[in-house]
Parts: sequence; C-alpha cells; structure tokens
Amino acid sequence: MTAAVSARMEMPWRLRKHTGLAGVLILIAAVSLVGGLVSDRFITLNNFLNVFEQTTDLALVSIGQTLTILSGGIDLSVGSLISLTSCLTSGLINNNPDRIIPVVIGVLALGMLVGFVNAGLVVALRVHPLIVTLGMGAVLQGVTLLYALGPVGRVPRGFNFLAYGRVYGLPLGATIAVLLCLLIALALRNLPLGRQVYALGDDTNSARLVGLRRTRILMLVYGCSGFCCAATGLYLAARFGVGQPYTGVNYTLASITPVVLGGTLLSGGKGGVIGTLLGAFLIALLNNLLNFMDVSKHYQLVAQAVIIILAVSVYVERRRTV
Amino acid sequence: MSERLTTSVELPRPDASSWSLRALLDRFGMILILPVLLGIGGSMSPAFLSLDNLSNLLLQFAPLAIVAIGQAFVMIVRGLDLSVASMMATAAVIATSLSGSAGGVMTVFAAALLVAVAVGLLNGFLVTKRQVSPFLATLATMILLQGFRFAYTQGAPSGNVPALLRVLGAGKFQGIPYNALILLALAIVLTIVLHRSAFGRRIFIVGGNPVTGRLFGIPSDLIMIACYVISSCLAGVAGLILSGYVGLVDNWVGQGYELDSIVACVVGQVSLQGGRGSILGALTGAAMIVIIANEVLLLGVPIQVQLIIKGAVIVIAAALYARREASSVA
Repeated sequence: MTAAVSARMEMPWRLRKHTGLAGVLILIAAVSLVGGLVSDRFITLNNFLNVFEQTTDLALVSIGQTLTILSGGIDLSVGSLISLTSCLTSGLINNNPDRIIPVVIGVLALGMLVGFVNAGLVVALRVHPLIVTLGMGAVLQGVTLLYALGPVGRVPRGFNFLAYGRVYGLPLGATIAVLLCLLIALALRNLPLGRQVYALGDDTNSARLVGLRRTRILMLVYGCSGFCCAATGLYLAARFGVGQPYTGVNYTLASITPVVLGGTLLSGGKGGVIGTLLGAFLIALLNNLLNFMDVSKHYQLVAQAVIIILAVSVYVERRRTV
Repeated sequence: MSERLTTSVELPRPDASSWSLRALLDRFGMILILPVLLGIGGSMSPAFLSLDNLSNLLLQFAPLAIVAIGQAFVMIVRGLDLSVASMMATAAVIATSLSGSAGGVMTVFAAALLVAVAVGLLNGFLVTKRQVSPFLATLATMILLQGFRFAYTQGAPSGNVPALLRVLGAGKFQGIPYNALILLALAIVLTIVLHRSAFGRRIFIVGGNPVTGRLFGIPSDLIMIACYVISSCLAGVAGLILSGYVGLVDNWVGQGYELDSIVACVVGQVSLQGGRGSILGALTGAAMIVIIANEVLLLGVPIQVQLIIKGAVIVIAAALYARREASSVA
C-alpha cells in the first residue's frame, strides 16, 4: 500500500521540489550579486562562512517546522520550547562540566516528549494543531517562567564550542544543522514513513482512506519539531552562555519564513527541508548584506517582509488548486 | 488554507431561524458559559461581581472584542489575520506622533484608518490576486508594519496620547466605559452587515465555497478584500482605544492580540475552515478570555501559572467547542 503511494507521488514530487528550490536559489544569487557590487568583501569564503554560522539557530528550528507544515499542520509552540530548553540547559548544567552529557540528552528527550504530547493532543482532542500548539506554547512559557524569571545558570566555557567552534574551518553548529537537514531529507525521501508525511499533508482524507496511521506520522513529525527546538535551545544557551526565559519568543513566527521561502506550501504536502535550509541562509545573507550597506536594523525587518511578499507572490503558492 | 473542494458536509447552516429550543441552544448556547464563569468568579471573591469590577472587565474586554469581530470577518472567508496586533501598535504610534499637531483626534483617527485601509487592501490583494495563503500574507504585512514602525520611531516612540483618546480608552460614563459604548455601536452595525445584509450573505457564501460564489456571479475577490479591510480598520480603532487605556505607547501595544483574537473566534465557534461564524460568537469568545484572565488574577497566582492556565483553557475550550472542526486542513 505504501509502495503504491510512493510510486504515485514520485514524479510530481521531484518536479515540484525543484521549482521551489530554483526560486530560493535565484534569490540567493540576486542578493549575492548586489552584495558583490556593494563591497568586495561580500563574496568571500570568510563572509559566507560567517553567514552560514549565523544561520544555525533559524535553520535548526525551521527544519522541524518544515515537517509539521508538510504534514498539513503547524507548530506554534517552538518559541516557548526553545526558551524552556535553553533555560534548562544552562540552569541544570550550572557550570558543572560533568553534567553536560546527561543534560543534553535529557533536554533533547524533553523536546521530543513535548512534540509527542502536541501530536497526542491533536489526535485525541481533534483540535487544529494551530490551537493545540498555541496553547502548549502558553503553557511552556509559563513553565519556563516558573523555572526562571531571569537569566539562569551558566554553561561551562567548553560548551560554547557548539556555537563558536570551528571544525576544519566549518562552524560546528551550522554543520550539525546541515547534517541533520540532510538526514531528514533522506528520510523523507526514502523511508515509507517519510513519504507518508507528504501524503498526509497533501490530502488528509485520502491518506485516511488508504489506511495511513495518522497518529504515528504526527508523533514523528511533532517529535522531530520538538527535537529541533531543543537543539536550538542548546545552541542558544551555548551562544549566550546563559539561558534566558524569553530567548525564543521571536522564533515562533520567524521559523515559518524560511520554510515558505524554501518552497514548502503552507497548506502541506509539498516542499522539503533542503529548501528550508536555503531559505534560512537567504535571510541571514540578506541581513548580512544590509549590514554591509549600513542599513539600520529597523529597515532589515522591512526588507525581510518585502522579500517574503515578493517570493511567495511570485512562485510559491501559484500552483494551488482551484 | 487549501482551497480544494471538500466533500465534507460542512455547509453553512441556513439563516432562516427555526425557533425550536434545540436550534436556539445550537446558536446561542455558548453564551450560557458566561454567567457560569461569572458565577465562579463571584464564588471566589464577592468583589468580583461588584459593579466596579464588572465595569473594569468591560474596559479590558472592548479592545479585544473589537479585534475579534474583525478576525471573525476574515475567518469566515477562510482567512486569518495575523497583522492585527501590528496594526494596533501602528495606530497607537500614529496617535502619539500626531498628538502635537492641530487637528486633534479626528486627524489621528483619519490617519490611522487610512493606514489600516492600505494594510487591509495589501492583505486582501496578496490573498486573492496573488493566491498567497492568508497566514503568510498577513504574517508578511505584520513584519512589514513592524519594520516601518521601528524605522519611524527609531525604536523608541515618544509623544503623548491625546487627551480625548485617553477619555475614550479609559473614561467611563455613569460607570459604563466609553470604549464599551464604541464596541456596542460597532457590534450592532457589523452584526446587521454580516447577518442581515446582502453583503453579509455573500461573505458566508464565499467563505462556504469560493467556487460556488464565483459560479453565482459573486465577486469573491472583492468580498474577501473587503473583509481584510474591515479587520485591519477594526484593529486600528482597537489600537487607538488601547493606547488610550494604557496611557502610553511603545512599539508593542496590542502584542498577543493576534493570537488572542483567533482563539476568541475559535472558542466562539467561528470556523477555522470558513463559512461559519457569528459576531455574537466572537464577542462571547473574547468575553471568556477576559473573564478567565481576570479570575486567574483573582486567585492570586503568579503570572507564570496564569500562562499555564490560559494555555490549558485555550486547548480545552477549543476541544469542547470546536469538535466539528475535524483537524484536517487549516
């Protein structure tokens, strides 16, 4: 049964995926071109590595978000979960190098657990994911503030290697994000469960009729999103050296932008994580360019919004039915 | 937000009222939760039901209710408006930046509404003509407004809220807040527009099924754009009122109202899938949010626990009320 689903989806899926990627690649090329005209330091390996490094947090959280959106849902609890995990990381490690490994494992497990609860609630209560994860977000923010009202704990010095370290010249955090992205991309493409995510997002009713197990797919998808949030929380704790209870607030909606720029449809069923990674890179590159041009930080938001509007109105949702 | 033709049984109920008890309960039953909630508040503390506190509740209720009404319009045509909070803050910033000039409050209202109409048109244009999903289109305008606001104020808004706006936002007439009177007027007019006019019928038809609407010769796009304009105008008005209530303006006036207004609508049985909903429902949902927040405050629990309770209530309320919203497409 699943094989049949995969086979049927194979061709259009590839085609669609590549049209989405083309858009974001063109935008990246355009921004790079402008950057090259603005400054001869823009198109250098060093600058691109910097941008790559600055992409890490957004890329990590957006990769998880991509999965929930592909499955036809959305995860609005990401911001609070990032805050919670980053607070827990620094608060529990509290400058004790021995605790790093158990805490990291524990935090990642907690992230997945929250995702499982999200999925469980969506299935059990039959409430739209938008509402469930919104409520979960409020609950998690409350829990975070119960744990810490201000910056809490400290991470040992070595821990910020995760954020600032370079391995063979490559920024460590960003490289991990890319590897995670490739892994998920392969899984989505080759594992039956991965293909089922697309099937579910493309047409929930048909997916149910052919007997796909919605619960299992949603558990996987929201669990992954929770895992990615926890990873982002770890990364932010490493970057700032301390966990802050509001550190993740902006990621809730920001995590959706790269997904959409990367050619994933908000209605689900089309797109992929590679596009999301490029989308996150595009945003970091754009901010980098505006920095080079000495544009005030305030206008960076305007530029970002204009890019989103341009991108989505030109290529993303054009193939919608009706 | 996919627009594929669903074969579900989700057709809007006929408006011709049947006066059986069951039909009445179906349409107005959710209001019954309000006296229950008020009763719970009263049993927690007698002060809760004092006229003073009730009028304060109204004061806090009005801005959210106004935004929720606009949100309901958009949701009925299968949309979402995430830009309302940003619009509120923008209106508030306009209010303070123009407060020095001669024209006074009318200028402020005119300028805010002008911006609101522009924002609504942009949202509507993106959704209808460019086929962008509403979530995304309004997210983009939200960021856009935010960027312009920050650029304009350089991060720190200055100036005072005009005196008349302070009165409208926080003043009371015989114990009844002025902003509640504004809300009442808006609610009556918009209820007539939505539930008793040809335009309103078209809104429901377009929301129920845009293709049917088109086949009937209804200008679906225009109707949808109108709904977005209504929503952002109401958000602008609510922003002005809220800035009058708060008494000062920062770049984040109204933060959280975008999600609160959506929750109010969902709790008030406005369908996330379009085609169904009422202004009364949006008002009920908004009232529930305000009353529950107030009661949690009354319990004397710290702010953290309030968030937890709020989150739980959102999910539970949606589960109780929106069971028919099988969680398929958004």
